[in-house]
Amino acid sequence: MSRVRLTVQQAPALRVDLRGVTPAALAQLTAPQIERVRLTHGTQTLALAEFFTVSCGDGPSADGELLFEGDLSRFDRIGWQTSSGRIVVDGPVGDYAGACMSGGEVHVKGRAGMLAACEMTGGRLTIDGDVGDHAASSLPGSMDGMRGGTLVVRGNAGERFADRMRRGTALVFGNAGDFLASRLVAGTIAIGGHAGAHIGYGMRRGSIVFAGAAPQVAKTFVPALADAPVAWQLLARDLARHGGPFAGLPARRIQRHLGDLSADGKGELIVPV
Amino acid sequence: MSAAQVINGVVIDDTFAEAFPMKATRLLITAHNLTWARHAAVSATGFATSVIACGCEAGIERELRPDETPDGRPGCSVLIFSMSGKELAKQIERRVGQCVLTCPTTAVFAGIAEGEAVALGKNLRFFGDGWQMSKVIAGVRYWRVPVMDGEFVAQETTAVTKAVGGGNLLMLASDTAAALAAAEGAVQAMQRLPNVVMPFPGGVVRSGSKVGSKYRALSASTNDAFCPGLYGLTAKSELTPDVHCVLEIVIDGLTEADVAAAMRAGIQACTAIGAAGGLLRLSAGNYGGKLGPYHFHLHKLLGAQGSAG
Repeated sequence: MSRVRLTVQQAPALRVDLRGVTPAALAQLTAPQIERVRLTHGTQTLALAEFFTVSCGDGPSADGELLFEGDLSRFDRIGWQTSSGRIVVDGPVGDYAGACMSGGEVHVKGRAGMLAACEMTGGRLTIDGDVGDHAASSLPGSMDGMRGGTLVVRGNAGERFADRMRRGTALVFGNAGDFLASRLVAGTIAIGGHAGAHIGYGMRRGSIVFAGAAPQVAKTFVPALADAPVAWQLLARDLARHGGPFAGLPARRIQRHLGDLSADGKGELIVPV
Repeated sequence: MSAAQVINGVVIDDTFAEAFPMKATRLLITAHNLTWARHAAVSATGFATSVIACGCEAGIERELRPDETPDGRPGCSVLIFSMSGKELAKQIERRVGQCVLTCPTTAVFAGIAEGEAVALGKNLRFFGDGWQMSKVIAGVRYWRVPVMDGEFVAQETTAVTKAVGGGNLLMLASDTAAALAAAEGAVQAMQRLPNVVMPFPGGVVRSGSKVGSKYRALSASTNDAFCPGLYGLTAKSELTPDVHCVLEIVIDGLTEADVAAAMRAGIQACTAIGAAGGLLRLSAGNYGGKLGPYHFHLHKLLGAQGSAG
C-alpha cells in the first residue's frame, strides 16, 4: 500500500489547515495529484506543493501511511477526521492534532498545540512531547469531548485536559494542568505526574487514576468506603500495557474518592497507595 | 452386539452414542477466594441436568488459577448448554442474576470471545437502580453494580457458540458398587479434559431414557431395555442375566471432537477397571441415528484397541 512523505519546505507565514490530508484520501492519488491538493493558508487557498515536497512509495501499512517531516507547528488539524491508516509526524504540530479521528493511528514525535484529540471517537493518538490546553476535550461550542479511542501523551498536558470527555482512554505520562477532567462525563484518564488545581471540577462519572503524585482532592468529593478490586485490576492491567509510570499499577492498592458532588457526580479519583 | 470388542474383560458394544446440536457459552466466575467462586459456580449450574425440564444443561468445567482470570483472582469456568440461543440467553440472565450476583465477592466474565453476543451484565445492571456504572476497558464494556460488599462487576455480554450435547456412555456392571466405581472413574477422567461438562449429579445419570412413552403427555420415558428389574419382562432387553446395575454418563461439549475425546477417556478409565472390578459391558444410547447428526461409535473411538469378541 502507499506511503506518502510530505516534507515541509519552510515555515509558512500563516497557519495552514491540513484537514482532508489523510492516508485514505491520498492513497488513491499520484504524486502530481497530491501536489495539487488545495490547502487553506490564512485566507488563501494554495496548492500543497507550496508547503511540502512530496514523495510517494510503497509502505507496510495496508491502509496507507502518511509521513510528515519538519516543523509543523503552524500546521493545524493534522489527522483531522482520520478513520484509517497511519500518520507519523517527525516533529511538532499545531492545534487540533488528531481531532475528530475515528480510527487508525496518529503518532506525533514532537509536541502538539491546543485541542489535540478533541472529539476523537476511535483509533490511537500518541504525542511524544507536551500537549496544549483542552486536549481530549470538545470543540469550542460542542457538548461532548473525546468519546472513544486512546490518547497517549508522553510529555505534559495543559489546562482543561479531557474537559467534557465522554468515553475512551487518555493518558498523560507527565503532569497535567489545572481543571483536569473538568465536567468529565465518563471515560478513563491516567496521570503519571502531578495534576494542577480543581481536579474533576463538575465531573459526573468516569475514572481518573493518579499514578504519580497524590492529588489535591476537593471537598466536593467523598472517600469511598468500599473497595473495588475487580474493576481496579481490569483497569490497572490495561493501563500497565502503556508502561512508564503506569507499569506497576496492578501491584498497588488504591484509595478512591467519589464525586463531584456539586454536579451530583459519581465519578472516581483513584489514588494508588 | 455381533462384533463386540473386549478389553480387559469388558465388552464394548458395536453401537454409537447419538448427540444433538446445542448452543453454549462459557462463563468465568471469580471471587475473593476459590471457596466463594465455587459456591457461585455450583449454584449457577444447579438444577441444570437436562434441557427437558431445566432449560439448560450446565456444569463446572474446571477451577481457574488467579493467573488465568481477567481480574487476577481464583475462579471457576462453567459451561452452559441449551437448545436455542434465545433459551440460553434467558438461562444465563436468570442464573447469573440469582446465583452469581447474589454470591459475596464474585465477578463474572465471558469465557468465549467468538460468537453471537448475548447479555451477561447488560440487563443485570439495572439492579443498580441508577447507581450502576459502565466501564469500557480495552474495548470491552463492563458493568459495575453497587452491592452491600462493594460492587458486582460483570462483562456486558458473553458469546454463544454452536455445541454438541447428549454424548453418552452406558456402564453395565455386576452390582451397584461396581457400576458406581466405573462411573466415578470415567467422570473423573472426563473432567480432566477441557470444553466438556457432565451435567447430571456427580456426572452420572441412572434414569436413562428412551424417546416416547405409553402416556401421550410424555415425550420420554424409562429406558426399559437397560433396566435390570425388567429383564425377562420387557420384550427387547439389551441386558444379560449377569448385569444387575446400569449407569450412564451424559456429555455436553463445545465441539464434536471434545465430546469424542471425553467419551474416549471415559471408556479407557472403565476398561482400566476391567471385568475384575465388576464392569461387564460398555454401551451407548441412540435413537437409530435418525434424530441427532453426531454419532460417536464406540469402536471408532477406541481405534484399533481391544480384540474382537
